[in-house]
Amino acid sequence: MIEFSNVGLRYGQGPEILRDLDFRIEPGSFHFLTGPSGSGKTSLLRLLLLSLRPTRGRVTLFGKDTSSLDNDQMLQMRRHIGIVFQEFRLLDHLTTLENVALPLRVLGEPESSYRANVTELLDWVGLGERLDALPAVLSGGEKQRAAIARAVIARPDILLADEPTGNVDPELSLRLLRLFAELNRTGTTIILATHELALLDSFPFPRMVLTDGQIEFHG
Amino acid sequence: MAEFTLPRFTGFTGFSGFNSRDRAAAIVPERSVTGRTLVLLIAIMTFLMGVTLGGVVLVQKSAIAWSSDVGREVTIQIRPVQGEVMESNLRTAVALAQATPGVAGARALTLEESEKLLEPWLGSGLDLSAIDIPRLVVVELADPAEADIAKLERDLAAVKGASLDTHAAWRQQLNVMAGTIVASGLLVLALIVIATVLAIIFATRGTMSSNREIVDVLHFIGASNSFIAGEFQGRFLTIGFRGGIIGGIGALVFFFLIGFTAGAMVPQEAGQQLGILFGRFALGWDGMFGILAVVPVIAAVTAITSRLTVRRFLQTTS
Repeated sequence: MIEFSNVGLRYGQGPEILRDLDFRIEPGSFHFLTGPSGSGKTSLLRLLLLSLRPTRGRVTLFGKDTSSLDNDQMLQMRRHIGIVFQEFRLLDHLTTLENVALPLRVLGEPESSYRANVTELLDWVGLGERLDALPAVLSGGEKQRAAIARAVIARPDILLADEPTGNVDPELSLRLLRLFAELNRTGTTIILATHELALLDSFPFPRMVLTDGQIEFHG
Repeated sequence: MAEFTLPRFTGFTGFSGFNSRDRAAAIVPERSVTGRTLVLLIAIMTFLMGVTLGGVVLVQKSAIAWSSDVGREVTIQIRPVQGEVMESNLRTAVALAQATPGVAGARALTLEESEKLLEPWLGSGLDLSAIDIPRLVVVELADPAEADIAKLERDLAAVKGASLDTHAAWRQQLNVMAGTIVASGLLVLALIVIATVLAIIFATRGTMSSNREIVDVLHFIGASNSFIAGEFQGRFLTIGFRGGIIGGIGALVFFFLIGFTAGAMVPQEAGQQLGILFGRFALGWDGMFGILAVVPVIAAVTAITSRLTVRRFLQTTS
């Protein structure tokens, strides 16, 4: 599903942030992506989200070399990938329900067709009573659950999460991790970037450790 | 959040929809677009376009009406010639004119009428009986296009001192003047459209920069550039319509007030004469329709310009 071959990445004329990445991730797997701050975790996720192109090497997603994709093909592929950001990135003027439904609106689905599903998913993540709340009145945990719901509402094949527990307390972190684990059980491939060792130790998933731009697999 | 069983999206929720919005909110929030300033700017531009267009219509209408009036008449001038009897020549000229195809009627101005024509230059109360003054025959044409002016000119060669004035030079000058004003008006319209387009481009760029977060999120969830451009275009179309309607109504009110004020300030008789010379300040239905047609045009210009600007912005940033 995901294959990196000799991938390198640099910004402008700077040093390589990522170097010689060679790995393959099978469908339906769950990987932690970890490493010290500045090690390139977010850059690696952006490569996977196709918001960055590697400066060398080849990234293959769903069996296709991403360097050969035009803009429209890239957007089509991105619809199979969900993303959860540490800072949530919910749109402030939209309600919880509208934020979560955004990927479906983008696909052109009418509100009548998705409203029930979005409500059901929000119930599932514990936001059934907060459908009409704006992000400004949601707690950090609620925002993160809404962001997760938005990332999975269109049933992506791959779910990327960049420090999704960075702004919540340890107890909620564990609960969110269980949520990701449940999503993984339904077949979604998950790559979750975190540097919280307690979380890594709580779940038996393999780890991708980035150090100085290079990656090692553990577990 | 105690249960972790992913829903199967059966559609059943028990959700009643209470307290929720009737329609999903716009993805691009209204307040995030530089709305009021742009509405005002478009209103001013539409007003200027409406006033210019209305002015062009007024000038054109007046020129056509005046040219048509002048074109329906030709004048035979008979200069006094030694040994010729003026009254006899006048009768001959009238008879020749009446015999010409396309002529509705011909009438020689009386001596008093001729003297009155000289009053603006010579003053009133003068005794002109001692002076031989040229006399005029006014020839009204039934149809200027059908009238055989060349034949009349040939026939008048038999009358000593007679010459024919078709007012062609006046009409030509009037047409040139009106054409210049119309062309200038159209140039001003084009410049206003260009200025409007430039202002919308700057406003759209500003809006895109201030809504960068929305654009990024939409890109991350797989929205196409055309979807994002459509969302912004919808906002700008609304702004274009608002500004256009305000400016269009303003222009119509302006012409109504000008017409009303001119009618109230100028005495009725003088007003009629001015109307004959310079046309009336009445736009007519076609003029009003022209001004109202500016509204959808300016709205479309706003929407299309913003869409193209957004697409260009997205192509360079995505």
